[in-house]
Amino acid sequence: MNTRQWARDLAVGARFAVTGGREGWVRMTLTAVGVGLGVALLLLCTALPNVFAARHKVEDARYDYTYSDKVPPKADDTFLIAATDTVWHDVDVRGRLVEPEGKRAPLPPGVDSFPGKGEMVVSPALKELLASDGAKLLRERLPYKITGTIGESGLIGSHELAYYAGASGLKLTDSSPVHRLTGYGKPDATPEKTDPVLLLMVLVVFVVLLTPVAVFIAAAVRFGGERRDRRLAALRLVGSDSHMTRRIAAGEALAGALLGLVIGSGFFLLGRQTLGSTELLGVSVWPSYLDPSPGLAALVAVAIPIAAVLVTLLAMRGVVVEPLGVVRAAKQRRRRLWWRLLPPLAGLTMLYPMIGKGHENGDFNQYLVIGGVLLLLIGITALLPWVVEAVVVRLGKGALSWQLAVRRLQLSSGTAARMVNGIAVAVAGAIALQMLFTGTQSQYTKATGKDPGRVQMQVDFSDRKPLSGVEREFTGTKGVRAAVALAISEYGDARRNPENSNGLTVGGCTALRELATLPSCKDGDVFVTRTRSHYTSSSNADEIAVLKPGRKLYIDPSYDDATERGIEAPWTVPANVRVVDAREDSLQDANSLLVTPAALPAKAVPALFSDGVYLRLDPSVPDSREHIRNVVARIDPLARAYSWSATEEDVKYTSIRTGLLVGSAFVLALIGASLLVSQLEQLRERRKLLSALVAFGTRRRTLSLSVLWQTALPVGLGLVLATTVGITLGSVLLKMTRTPVAMDWASVLTMTGVGAAVVGVVTLLSLPPLLRMMRPEGLRTE
Amino acid sequence: MTTSHPGSLLTAHDLRKAYGPTHALDGAEFSIHSGEVVAIMGPSGSGKSTLLHCLAGIVPPDSGSITYDGRELTKMSDAQRSALRRSEFGFVFQFGQLVPELTCVENVALPLRLNGASRKDAERTALGWMERLEVDDLKAKRPGEVSGGQGQRVAVARALVTGPRLLFADEPTGALDSLNGERVMELLTDAARSTNAAVVLVTHEARVAAYSDREIVVRDGKSRDVERAI
Repeated sequence: MNTRQWARDLAVGARFAVTGGREGWVRMTLTAVGVGLGVALLLLCTALPNVFAARHKVEDARYDYTYSDKVPPKADDTFLIAATDTVWHDVDVRGRLVEPEGKRAPLPPGVDSFPGKGEMVVSPALKELLASDGAKLLRERLPYKITGTIGESGLIGSHELAYYAGASGLKLTDSSPVHRLTGYGKPDATPEKTDPVLLLMVLVVFVVLLTPVAVFIAAAVRFGGERRDRRLAALRLVGSDSHMTRRIAAGEALAGALLGLVIGSGFFLLGRQTLGSTELLGVSVWPSYLDPSPGLAALVAVAIPIAAVLVTLLAMRGVVVEPLGVVRAAKQRRRRLWWRLLPPLAGLTMLYPMIGKGHENGDFNQYLVIGGVLLLLIGITALLPWVVEAVVVRLGKGALSWQLAVRRLQLSSGTAARMVNGIAVAVAGAIALQMLFTGTQSQYTKATGKDPGRVQMQVDFSDRKPLSGVEREFTGTKGVRAAVALAISEYGDARRNPENSNGLTVGGCTALRELATLPSCKDGDVFVTRTRSHYTSSSNADEIAVLKPGRKLYIDPSYDDATERGIEAPWTVPANVRVVDAREDSLQDANSLLVTPAALPAKAVPALFSDGVYLRLDPSVPDSREHIRNVVARIDPLARAYSWSATEEDVKYTSIRTGLLVGSAFVLALIGASLLVSQLEQLRERRKLLSALVAFGTRRRTLSLSVLWQTALPVGLGLVLATTVGITLGSVLLKMTRTPVAMDWASVLTMTGVGAAVVGVVTLLSLPPLLRMMRPEGLRTE
Repeated sequence: MTTSHPGSLLTAHDLRKAYGPTHALDGAEFSIHSGEVVAIMGPSGSGKSTLLHCLAGIVPPDSGSITYDGRELTKMSDAQRSALRRSEFGFVFQFGQLVPELTCVENVALPLRLNGASRKDAERTALGWMERLEVDDLKAKRPGEVSGGQGQRVAVARALVTGPRLLFADEPTGALDSLNGERVMELLTDAARSTNAAVVLVTHEARVAAYSDREIVVRDGKSRDVERAI
């Protein structure tokens, strides 16, 4: 056999595919659409690294913060900028107040001209939001006139909410969040080292998402295969030998795969545009970010046609096409287990050397990780047919519907296993990743020590704010149940350059009671806590010794090396100073010296900095947080208002998890669609038989139940195998990251439940066509 | 115009059935007595299979009446007609329509199981019929492993296993060579007669129709009795 013969046979097959009349076209279109969906998803996945890089690049390019102590002098090319980020219904809004100080001040990326005072340039998404009916409160918060839009180069996604508002008179002080800059961009663009465990997660997420897609493509090239096999019998009659017939069949699949590549590219371009105009789980991108790497795209273009030919040749091994239109399944050999165990064992062998590596011992070998995970997951597709065969061959007795299903599975367990392969691989991967995520969650989630049951929001003002009146601003706000305000300052034992200095916290009795247990309190009282707070158990003995009644101190002392001079307000520790206990659940890591406002001299008031207003909200009032943010924006546009949460997750960790969720949703939808097509195809094949069974009185319920069993049995077995492999892979990954292996049964059940639900939905969707096909009209031949 | 005999097991009158613009049946008449074998003949597309499907309650006619054993078939619900087909009718189709995944004995036992018989009893009875039709040695084989003639005999056994009063056979030998076809017809008619079952036989082959007691020709949706020379 030579290459020319191969090429000729494949070409004949491809020609049959396009000249096979309506049925041929339907089959090829089905294959092509299936392959196309897989190709589109593969291309999108290969484009994902670029998405993260592109977003990162924009974030770096528009960076407008400096940690440097050296403030450049005001010049023609400097500008003042302050972050005024806010939140609108849990969605972040990136905001900046910007004030050019000269004509040559550089423009922010994506902005054509500086907005004047009272004006702003906005992202297209924010413009749309502000124009919508439901954004009245946001319009109140951003009372600027829109004079332009921010271009793609200044936004990390098409749906990002962002604005630059013009300002004048921004104050550059030690304590304000205003910065003077000469340009945008991160000064030290040295890439930070990625956490090896996070990198491992990214690799595994990729393999876990892409393997089911590959399995799906393998299934898609066999759409309509049974019908095609029958037609090929006619070729045997005119002299084609069995090898030629197989190659011709492969040629038909090749044509479908090639058309699939074209359709897939179309789907990809369509998806690229669609993704560019939508937002998933709070993440949006620009279409230009979704550019697959050329190498990977070329690999997809070459691998898929080759896979189509190989899969068809393999599948045809089990079919004997004879002349005279007779096609019989070749005498089925019992499947052998030994070689089917090789891929998962090889996978484990590849992962084994990396066990115990953890965060500290360098990077994981990417090739070993990809190879190992891939082999373990592909191992499912090798093992599942054996498992299904081994189990169904032992089944038998039962109701008629059960018998019909079991016999069908015994006759073609391979078809059943193939149907479930994709779901099983996806579920196994998801279980493993879920275990990895749950196991490492504590490493990427830290407790904030804040109790959102007690305080729901906190406001930090940007600069010195008088303490009195701040609470009142909020107590009248819709949805605020209570507000307590705290201020801080510093005291020292000398007017200038004190030897002993410390912080003091100022607040009304209600506010101070949130920090310490006070036996009694009235305005004018002063307290010292025995320990600083629950954050540290160290004793305050030294400070208590300094704060003796009658001791003369200075509030806000001056230092020779400071840029600004302190207030230097003299203050004598009153006789009624009392030592109290800090509360275990203190609102903040407060200072030891707690002072009520009347105990301070009037001269000291300008030395106080707001140290947060703590708000308790009425959950029954809608939009209470939005009302509060509006009040904050009115009082101090540079203030930060944020909600309390008990934990804080690492941003990268969260984005990998979000990526997995988005990807899994796509993959499961794809697999569901493939299952539905296979199911309908099988039913169509059996249309006449179903009609005949109904003709002699078989109840539709019996046939429906048999279809259900036929699906449920392999799915059940597939999910058991998927759970086993998933838990094994999850345990290995946890051991690789040096995390104790703990089973998260809730996740395992959820993942298997999702897999089962997809199959359930597919079965439900296939019932109406099944019932239609059972009509006796199916017996008509003319 | 067919002749309606008093005491008929099944009688059809003025049957009409259209599939879109095509009138498959256009006032067809039919009757059959217990133990009688009636052949319905006619060219392809004449409406003979549609007539069989209507008579068997598989497809409801657009108009006309079908009386089986004093009961009006056209007024029965789908469930009632299904029950009737299950318990009193038997069917043989051109390609057997055996369930490929079931063994031959399981295929023959299928109608009994549909009627609620236990697996053991159903398969014992099925095996008896397979012996009568000389295919008992195929009991453990699947339909894909037997020849066309053998498969059709298994299908005949399946049609007779419930002891039907009426057997519908749609081109039962259409896919067989003449030798096999004749053997199947011999076995089918002998078995039917031995149980006094009536047989409605759709065929376009005179050779097959020769096994019947009476012939009806369907043309353009209308039926008429054929006078036999002998």
